[in-house]
Amino acid sequence: MGFFKSKLKRFNRDNSKTKNENSEHELQIDELLHRCKESNDFVSYRYSNSSPFYIHYYQTIVDINILHQYILPYIKDNSSKTLFDLQQAIPIDNTEIITNVHEIRDKLLTGCIVIEVKGSLQEALVISAVSLEKRPVSLPEVEYSVVGPKEAFVESIDANINLVRKRLPIPDLIVEEVKVGSLTKTRVAVLYIEGVTDKENVNTILQRLNEIEFDQIVDSSFINQIISDNHNSPFPHLIDTERPDRVASVLSEGKITIIVDGSPHALTGPTTLVEFFSAFEDYFLSWHIASIFRLVRLFAVFFSVLSTSLYVAVLTYHYEMIPEKLLNPLIASRSGIPFPPILEAIILELTIELLREAGARLPTKIGQTIGIVGGIVIGTAAVQAGLTSNVLLIIVALAALASFTTPVYQMGNTIRLIRFPFLITAQLWGLLGVTFCFSYILSHLLKMTSLGRPYLAPMYPLRLNDLRDSMFRLPFFMQTKRPLQVRSPVRTRFQPKKHEKSKRDIED
Amino acid sequence: MFPLPKEDKKVSPYFVFYLIHAMQIGVGILGFEKIIVQSAGYSAWIAILTSGASIIGLIWVSYRILNKGNNDIVAIHAEIMGKWIGGFFSFIFLLYFFAFALVVLRSYVEVLQVWVFPEVSEWIFVLIIIFLSYSYVTGGFRVITGVSYLGIIYGLPLLLVNFYPLQYADYGNLLPILSASPADLFKASKEMTLNFLGFETLFMFYPFIKDGPKSEKWAYFGVLFSIFIYLFTAFVTFVYFNQEQLKSTIWATLTLWKIVDLIIVERFEYIGISVWFFSILPNICIGLWCASRGMNRLFPISQRNALKVFCLLLFIISVLLTDRQQIGVLQNTVSQVGLYTIYFYLPCLLVFQYIIMKVKKR
Repeated sequence: MGFFKSKLKRFNRDNSKTKNENSEHELQIDELLHRCKESNDFVSYRYSNSSPFYIHYYQTIVDINILHQYILPYIKDNSSKTLFDLQQAIPIDNTEIITNVHEIRDKLLTGCIVIEVKGSLQEALVISAVSLEKRPVSLPEVEYSVVGPKEAFVESIDANINLVRKRLPIPDLIVEEVKVGSLTKTRVAVLYIEGVTDKENVNTILQRLNEIEFDQIVDSSFINQIISDNHNSPFPHLIDTERPDRVASVLSEGKITIIVDGSPHALTGPTTLVEFFSAFEDYFLSWHIASIFRLVRLFAVFFSVLSTSLYVAVLTYHYEMIPEKLLNPLIASRSGIPFPPILEAIILELTIELLREAGARLPTKIGQTIGIVGGIVIGTAAVQAGLTSNVLLIIVALAALASFTTPVYQMGNTIRLIRFPFLITAQLWGLLGVTFCFSYILSHLLKMTSLGRPYLAPMYPLRLNDLRDSMFRLPFFMQTKRPLQVRSPVRTRFQPKKHEKSKRDIED
Repeated sequence: MFPLPKEDKKVSPYFVFYLIHAMQIGVGILGFEKIIVQSAGYSAWIAILTSGASIIGLIWVSYRILNKGNNDIVAIHAEIMGKWIGGFFSFIFLLYFFAFALVVLRSYVEVLQVWVFPEVSEWIFVLIIIFLSYSYVTGGFRVITGVSYLGIIYGLPLLLVNFYPLQYADYGNLLPILSASPADLFKASKEMTLNFLGFETLFMFYPFIKDGPKSEKWAYFGVLFSIFIYLFTAFVTFVYFNQEQLKSTIWATLTLWKIVDLIIVERFEYIGISVWFFSILPNICIGLWCASRGMNRLFPISQRNALKVFCLLLFIISVLLTDRQQIGVLQNTVSQVGLYTIYFYLPCLLVFQYIIMKVKKR
């Protein structure tokens, strides 16, 4: 054993030595330029034979107007001979003279123009002239709301932070940036409000982000999966949202937001299971309506997960449970069906999944047609052909509908997935099977954490104060405290005014 | 030698309410009526009160021991009686916790076999339930507290269905109020105490309570709530059945669920038995947790491995017990051991601890 250990150690040491040598090997600027020139969109030329300046940039990511209007005229007038003179002359801020070649390379690749002077080998003037394609801020499509703001995040990290910062114009809103991904070098920003957010949560996130070893981070959902507390869980650990208003509100609750460049979805956490069923629109409606809607959504989840499996369980094992009056319609609808309930249920569930998948992959216009064709034609045809029963069709369709009431898309997927284990266990052991499956998922949820905080939070551990804005949404004047879940150092959101009951008489 | 658990593994004092209550409500409540009625007739409800009161007394005794020792039973035994004798007694305690889980598991599986799936062999259910319990226990004490708490929440709605049999109640059944002799009542109390067993697990999880001494009142509330539930169930059963019928009904509470007549569901007992699983599960989980934790404290074995061993034993023994008689013998043995433990051993331990502490101080 010891022998192997020492061998392993030596192997590691050798490895790290070669690595060190690699990084110690100084990249020469010529070498860099030579490598860049292999790519056709790299432009590199000497301005004129009389000018000492060499200009290098990638024409595909540089705004050429900046070069033409603000750089070339000052090179042309020939008054500046050194990079420093040129830097003084050019009317652009944030120009830098950099000696580190690695830094120069990074700048070059993120849309800077590099100007080199003849004779000086290790120095270059770097001028930012990024031109990034981005679409304009548009309507939220995944988390649409009838009332309330209609802005959604876009793919540019700067635009997204802009959308958040304009809603929270305070210096305490801190943005910490990390570069993740060995190939994509994706900019990942962690946003939080200093003094309101628990520093431990921030450190947890930053530490996990820094530990990421992956070549490509294309979207925030990559981050969501990589930094999650339990990699084997089908449940999402952080909420992804495309609404800047939701992010602003969540930040002021003391939570943390991760914005990833190239992704129109921000991640927020630490979160709880119930939070996935709260739409941001709840805050735009009066609290009675919002509370009822939240309860309806939670009921919809249970209905969606349990209804088909209960049907299978009852019809396979416990038919004594069906009341006499209900028996007639059930027999009428099931009498000619050649399949056992489980097969019937699986066929219909899979049909619905097919429709959903087809609808999601197709363009919007055709997607709608598919929905109608699938829903009406296939459903009716299946019943008339005697392959499935009407009753089950109703149940499955309702269950599918119920699963779409979940405001967060990722959670909706999870709910549709966990229906299938329930179906299988219901077929094996009836109602008991459903109970077994439920208790297994419960054990998973009880063990689960989001950024180290319990996932089932306001229910277990029971936090009565947090219930005010989880299963229900009580009126704003009662939301005086931040949730315990986030462990904010400042728990009070605002000082409640004494809510005086008016003692005036009726006609005073 | 016996380190206390870390702060982030602990639970708030009020959870003792759920833990104690969850342990006391298990399989017993499905059929305790017959047993106490056989001894004391329809005055047996007094037995529920008297035995409940004695349990409250014993909880007082337990807290005196635990507050002084400020650790679990393994550490307290070791402190009072030394490594070997103390370890021996601790080991017996562990076996008792394990046997408790075994009784609960095997009795519930028996109910399943009799009421729901007569044709499925028992080892399948035993295996599934052990697997589920293992999955909970590996989550640690906080998860187990969670399942006790949620199990009680899920089980509570079952109390509501008791109102259906009340529609057919004959309140005259309860009269005359005191028909049994004190000897009969004593016997019924003794039998009733078996249903209240399970609070002894407090001796194992006490260090996991934040600010342990504060949890004492919650333990009392837990017992009081158990007494209320037993009393209420007994009341409904007594007014529904006549005495002779009840004496031949093994699972009276379960039979009551048959009366329930909802618009969309008949034969409510299938739902009842399924939901009751959430009251059974905490019993098995806490039993297994206590046993495996104790092993970890006593011997140089990790709790996870101890748990695996106990799960395997649980499976083998459960499958070996095939008929009603063997299960009955097991139930009786474990409850007799439990009875003597709580009524004789605990007070002795209190006195012994007091004396030893005094001597040590000198």
